[in-house]
Amino acid sequence: MKNVVKKFPGVTALDGISFDIRAGEVHVLLGENGAGKSTLMKILSGVHKPTSGEIIINGKAFSHLTPYDSYKNGISVIYQELSVINELSIGENLFIGRLPMKKLGFFETVDHSEINKRAREILKTVGLNRDPKTAVEELSISEKQQVEIAKAIAADSKVIIMDEPTASLTSSEVESLFKIIRQLKKDGKGIVFISHKLGEIMEIGDRVTVLKDGGYVGTKNISDITQDDLVTMMVGRQISKNYQHENFDFENEPVIFEVVNLSRKDNKVRDVSFKLHKGEILGFSGLVGSGRSEMMNAIFGAEPKSSGRIFIDGEEIKTPSPYSAIKKGLAMVTENRRETGFFHNFDIAKNISILPFVKTSGAGGISGLVSKKAEAQWADEQRERLNIKCYSTKQLVSELSGGNQQKVILGKWLAADSKIIIFDEPTKGIDVGSKSEIYSLMRRLADEGKGVLVVSSELPELLSVCDTIAVFLEGKIVKFFSHREATEENIIHASTAQESEET
Amino acid sequence: MPTKMKERELTFSQAWQRYGTLGILVLLLVILAILRPSFFFKTSTITQILSQSSVNILIALGEFFAILIAGIDLSVGSVVALSGMFMAKLMVSGTSPIAAVLLGVFMGALLGFINGILVNSTGLHPFIITLGTQAIFRGVTLIISDSSAVFGFPASFSRFMAQRIFYVPVAAIIAIAAALILAFLTRQTKLGRNIYALGGNRESAWYSGINIKLHTLIVFVISGICAGIAGVVLLGRVGSAEPAAATGFETYAIAAAIIGGTSFFGGKGKIFGVVMGGLIIGVINFGMNLLSVSSTLQQVVMGALIIGSVTLDRFVAGRK
Repeated sequence: MKNVVKKFPGVTALDGISFDIRAGEVHVLLGENGAGKSTLMKILSGVHKPTSGEIIINGKAFSHLTPYDSYKNGISVIYQELSVINELSIGENLFIGRLPMKKLGFFETVDHSEINKRAREILKTVGLNRDPKTAVEELSISEKQQVEIAKAIAADSKVIIMDEPTASLTSSEVESLFKIIRQLKKDGKGIVFISHKLGEIMEIGDRVTVLKDGGYVGTKNISDITQDDLVTMMVGRQISKNYQHENFDFENEPVIFEVVNLSRKDNKVRDVSFKLHKGEILGFSGLVGSGRSEMMNAIFGAEPKSSGRIFIDGEEIKTPSPYSAIKKGLAMVTENRRETGFFHNFDIAKNISILPFVKTSGAGGISGLVSKKAEAQWADEQRERLNIKCYSTKQLVSELSGGNQQKVILGKWLAADSKIIIFDEPTKGIDVGSKSEIYSLMRRLADEGKGVLVVSSELPELLSVCDTIAVFLEGKIVKFFSHREATEENIIHASTAQESEET
Repeated sequence: MPTKMKERELTFSQAWQRYGTLGILVLLLVILAILRPSFFFKTSTITQILSQSSVNILIALGEFFAILIAGIDLSVGSVVALSGMFMAKLMVSGTSPIAAVLLGVFMGALLGFINGILVNSTGLHPFIITLGTQAIFRGVTLIISDSSAVFGFPASFSRFMAQRIFYVPVAAIIAIAAALILAFLTRQTKLGRNIYALGGNRESAWYSGINIKLHTLIVFVISGICAGIAGVVLLGRVGSAEPAAATGFETYAIAAAIIGGTSFFGGKGKIFGVVMGGLIIGVINFGMNLLSVSSTLQQVVMGALIIGSVTLDRFVAGRK
């Protein structure tokens, strides 16, 4: 790939990336969430069309690939969410799209015996000891992954791209995956291995390319570098504004929010405790799926918790549902505005007033009348307070920019006079200008005595906004950093369990 | 140039949303007046259209709420029949008409409650649940009636239902009253607002503290109550309770709601539109009878109208 650029409306997802894969090597693609790894991968698999640049496969140049080009030229992608078809057998999955046929009178029918014969051979090479007639839904995740790899082999792929293949595997399963990868290398396949886990990368990789914010940082031979070098490359150096107050000693301020021993039945959150002081902004870092958002959803009552206690101003509250949480003064600005944030069928005023109306209603949220006067007042107040750019509060929210949509959502919680505000990825898909507005706003809210909790996958964001950063790993908080001691390096170390011998 | 076009489209879409259904209704009336002026300009014609439309409007008012939460209620026709049959049985066995009517409407509410509980507890789409209860409620109607019609209601009931107040039939007054109450509910109450929110975005509604199951249940109870009231009106008009009464009425109710501008995808629609939709269907039915269109062809026209109006709705909605 040469100088590949991909622009989405408002965002440059990839900015002149060059990347090559040789036969018989494992080329690791490394970068933070949002660095551009998946975009790059989707360009190779033909999902996205690059804005400029070219892709050269065996000397043949393409300006873009269609999924069919990609397949025909020997590129296979194994996504994190495996794309095997559960209802079909292993054999059928391997040959889906080009099932061997046989003639039966006037008709052509699927040649199952041929499928199973060929499947058996391929399964041997990936070490999967299963009858090809087995339905895929009976397999474990690691076995399904082996089927995916077998599928790539069946398609005679030259390049196999694996997106975080070890994310949901146990350590012994990872070992057997690595065995397969080594075998594939021997067979001359080129492997692109995407992962966050530095230890694994050092073990399996031959070369590594690091991306950051859509830009190319560098390509190195694994044998020439250390884990620390990788972290430095991923993080880079960038100066951003800080929103913390210097010399602010929140430790002496009263605790306004506390969670004790919170767990979820599904084990996505295990025995988590933390305190939030008045004026403090507490951030939550960690990989996607490490339990941060899951914890917030449990606190807010949107998803069930199995145990744990929650206190606001020292008083214990119960939150079996968002309604009860809202009544107690909790607010949650969710990660996905479109799906869980606003109402596309409502104008700005109605979006803002829904919360204070619900909060002041009785009988589980159904009693009471709406007041158009109060509604207009809330909407105008928040429009002014949050600087929502619109020509009227009667405008539909779906017509606003991402940043302004986010302000409307925040406005509904402020109109309801919430005490504790949870922000889940508050600046996802938001332009730089609105971002800094939202950061200043968070600080202002904390100064006003509101509790501010922030979940973010963007480390610079947490570092410039939060007073304290809690790091999640596998459902637990593994470390708290004060903003003075927090750096991208030590947070990444903590969140990938790559903590060196310091402690 | 492009901005100018956009403005025009916007106003067209807004105008359609506001006056589209009223326009269609007026247009239909004008066509009818031109084709059959002698029949058209009689008060009896107007009262006939009103009283014929009442049952459909009442059912459609309930159906509106089911569609508003991006669901549907296919059981309404059967609820009309079962609550009507229940009422009729009570009346012929000597229960006072007032008590029988109240219990009949309560039966409608109960049947709606059953729909709501089933939707909530199974998590299945209301289409499936109400498809099932449609058959179940109809079956129960057949069982309790022994598959035969029930008639011979107290004279006080028949007299009351047949009266006109200032030329307006009681049936129409009931439908108008129901529409006014429900319009108040949708516009002025938090409950109404929450139902729109739930229909617009279920997940956002949950995160905004709206109890999805409770509101779903309430919606189906409203639908049941409306069908129960429709059962009373139908009983008064026909003078007997037929086990096969109101078969297929859900189609007209859905059509009235959709023609009236209710979005099938939830969260959008107005009570006024539903009443207009119900009247449009009433006028079409009446007009086709007046023009002696065969009943089979009437079905074809009605079907084409449903498809046409929904296409138009999507087309207009998609223009912005």
